[in-house]
Amino acid sequence: MTISEPLSLKNKASNIGFIFFGLIGILPFVAAFVYALLYSFGLVGAANSGFTTEFWISTWQSGAFIKSLVYSTVVAGTSIFISVSIALWLTLKFRNELEHPILAFAMYLPLAIPGIVAAFFTFQLLAKAGFFSRIAYAFGWITEARQFPDLVNDPYAIGIIATFISIVTPFLLLLFLNVYKNERVDELAQLSQSLGANKQQTVWSVSLPVLLNKTWTLIGLYFIFLLGAYEVPLILGQESPQMLSVLIIREIKQYDLSRLSEGYVVAVIYTVIVTTAAVLLFSRKNDVKHEG
Amino acid sequence: MKANWKFFFLAALVILVVFPFAYLLLLSMASEWRFPELWPAYFGMRNWEQVVSSETGLISSFLVSTGISFSVATMSTFIGFFISRGIAYHPYKRTITLLTYFPYILAPVVFAACLSYFFLKLGLFGKPVGVFVAQFMVAFPYALIFFSSFWGEKTKSYEELVATLGGNQLQAFRKVLLPIAKNMLIICFFQTFLISWFEYGLTSIIGVGKVQTLTIKVFLFIKESNFYYGALSCCLLILPPVLLLYINKRYVFNKLI
Amino acid sequence: MDFKLIILCLLFWSCGDQNKTVEKDPLLDSWEEVTKASEGTTVHFMMWQGSPVVNEYINNYVIPTLKKEHNIDLQIVSGQGPEIVQMVMGEKEAGVKNSQIDIVWINGETFFQLKKIEGLWGPFVQKLPNATYINFDDPHISIDFQQSIEGMESPWGMSQFALIYDSLEVPNPPRNLEALEQYIKAKPGTFTISNDFSGMSLLKSFLAELSGSPNGLDGPFDAEKYEVLSKKLWEYINRNKKYFWKEGVTFPKEHSKMDQMFASGELSISFGFSEGAIEEKVNRGLYPKSTRAYAWENGTVLNSNYIGIVHNAPNKAGALQVINFLISPEAQLTKADPNGMDANPVLDLQKLPEAWRKKFEELPKRKYGAELSELSKNAIQEPAPEYMIKLYDDFRTFVIEK
Repeated sequence: MTISEPLSLKNKASNIGFIFFGLIGILPFVAAFVYALLYSFGLVGAANSGFTTEFWISTWQSGAFIKSLVYSTVVAGTSIFISVSIALWLTLKFRNELEHPILAFAMYLPLAIPGIVAAFFTFQLLAKAGFFSRIAYAFGWITEARQFPDLVNDPYAIGIIATFISIVTPFLLLLFLNVYKNERVDELAQLSQSLGANKQQTVWSVSLPVLLNKTWTLIGLYFIFLLGAYEVPLILGQESPQMLSVLIIREIKQYDLSRLSEGYVVAVIYTVIVTTAAVLLFSRKNDVKHEG
Repeated sequence: MKANWKFFFLAALVILVVFPFAYLLLLSMASEWRFPELWPAYFGMRNWEQVVSSETGLISSFLVSTGISFSVATMSTFIGFFISRGIAYHPYKRTITLLTYFPYILAPVVFAACLSYFFLKLGLFGKPVGVFVAQFMVAFPYALIFFSSFWGEKTKSYEELVATLGGNQLQAFRKVLLPIAKNMLIICFFQTFLISWFEYGLTSIIGVGKVQTLTIKVFLFIKESNFYYGALSCCLLILPPVLLLYINKRYVFNKLI
Repeated sequence: MDFKLIILCLLFWSCGDQNKTVEKDPLLDSWEEVTKASEGTTVHFMMWQGSPVVNEYINNYVIPTLKKEHNIDLQIVSGQGPEIVQMVMGEKEAGVKNSQIDIVWINGETFFQLKKIEGLWGPFVQKLPNATYINFDDPHISIDFQQSIEGMESPWGMSQFALIYDSLEVPNPPRNLEALEQYIKAKPGTFTISNDFSGMSLLKSFLAELSGSPNGLDGPFDAEKYEVLSKKLWEYINRNKKYFWKEGVTFPKEHSKMDQMFASGELSISFGFSEGAIEEKVNRGLYPKSTRAYAWENGTVLNSNYIGIVHNAPNKAGALQVINFLISPEAQLTKADPNGMDANPVLDLQKLPEAWRKKFEELPKRKYGAELSELSKNAIQEPAPEYMIKLYDDFRTFVIEK
């Protein structure tokens, strides 16, 4: 910015950059949203015949959407809550031991497993004819597969939550350990203890607040991701209620062509919710910090 | 006593972490494993041999996945690096960064479903290049966010220094910025590679089952209840990330997702 | 900058498909022309890939043989029913001239929807040389879900829906709704209905029984009749679903899952097309040797499945060649092998040349599964497609989401 000559050139380059950004980063998002919006009001789509609010009304009345929203929120929220708790506990309890080379490597291993594999694995383990059921059989606890408890495709989403936890906890653990080191929580804790706080007080009013304060944006981001998760609930969920993404895709891909628009109604509402959540998360002062 | 408790707990934790890998490998070598047997009736290399010899298409899926992920990672890392600079120096940086998050946080499968009309229109549907473009739309914002912390007063002063010394922008990039960013570039490359490598929902919609990446294969095998092949494709799917971890664990840890 | 963006946006909108090749309609040509035009081409076949035997037949027999004999690359695209309809409709909406797919494996309800949106190309069936071996006077072939096929789809296979059970565990399986009710009360948790094509086919048998006769659902869709009968059906299922698998709170999404659960003993009754499709599973040791198949007392549906060509198929000549191969005596013979796909041929043995007829007659018999000729005494026609579409919707609304 000090010399005027290359400035115009610089501007040109950055303009091309912005156009590219708009084209790839923003236009598709806007296009997708507008298309879903038009479809939901019957304005596009071969089986639709013009503006109508009937799909919005029928989606509202059927209740499937509200159920799905509540279900997704509860499943995602529970998973995040448990994952954060486990990761925090491990961080505070084992941070020194976790520096051992074997453990340090093992902690990273779960990151190599994508959602679809985790869901497949959970199914193999927890299904009624799965690995645990076989062990139960071998021990004589059950005599038939059907006696094994419902752990996948179950009404309480145990399979989904277990998988989410196994995916999210390793990330959070690494994140917390990182923050713990970078923010020098150790020193702060020592300071607070030397000022007379006991161990309990130090954890609750120093270590935890520092860790959570630095990471809550990311925790919120994880929540949004889990809210829209697809593969895991597709494999491990039940037929009703379904998580949001599964519901949307089922409705958009259903047999009855005259009702496809209902899927787009849900897609529109979901997009609005998620973007609002993103705005709330990121418009605060708290920028996402990460060091490469 | 207390140390002992910790030791056992941590040992259990390591077993817990290693177990899925061992189990999937075992399952991929099994066959005719009926309930309630604890051990499969057949155990050996048969499934793996079939992958090479018959028409399951797993090898080609592996290649398709590699090709797409490699392109997505290369493109989004480099383009992301250059464009993130413009954004970072822009007066409306915060607003633009917020916009960047939108396509990234939306469930890819929903994003794809609403976009499929345009992909059809552009003739990108059901083609590897279409899947590439779609995955790029998700990986690119990631790269932008990833690099946003790289640019700041420090890089600005470096650039100014190069300029005062009579260097042009190209030189600033080649001689100064890229070398400093080398590590971040490598990490971003692997991260975006994995975003693409693990992607299922978006690929299934834009690829309509014609572009059969490994995740699509895993799902097909699950659908036909062929768990042994399913496990085998899972093994292929987790092989590259494990290798990356072995090389450098920082390549796989993604602090954003 | 804004201006440039707008131009780019316009570009984004306006550039449709680049490859708008106008192809000569091979229907107008002779079969030699079709053969010539199809050589060295690729045909995309969208089909259901949920069965290992079907995949095995396609991957290890059809694809290599087509390559060898006709120099055609057959590419399989995974998708069925609604996915096919969506695909064709999406392409229509976007005005795509050259489809992603050429041929599709369909049933009556998909045929119905594709016809509704004019998504099929044809008529073409009479054009196929091997069509001479098919008896189009057989109503199970020429009538698909109460609709005449009119040469717009070629039959590929024929099968009856059957229930399966382990004869050692269940000596007397239920053959009507009343018996089923008693049965599941005695053995709770061992029965369910998959929320897919197979499950809906079972519901059609139930609906037909409630109508009081095997022919109760014949003819065009009758909304009033459907309302009355389906109400009874949902009442029956909801009354009993607490004795279903997982107490009826959920239902398996895919039929292949039911196969697995039958194999592990979680379910004691399952069902499926191809007369229950048990032969290969017993041979593989997945099902016990005591597995048997049977039909519902009032009848289970007997139907054909078909292959159609989408209206904007880019390679119609190749499509014709592939379909002609699929209904050739050699392909149908391999398909009928009880140790392979085990599917009933659509060919009329009386119309076949002597040598081929012999080969079909010499095929080994099924060891465990029932023969179609036996089972078809208790067969019903496929009801009109609207029944299926309604059942799908209502099963979700009145049972799953209740």
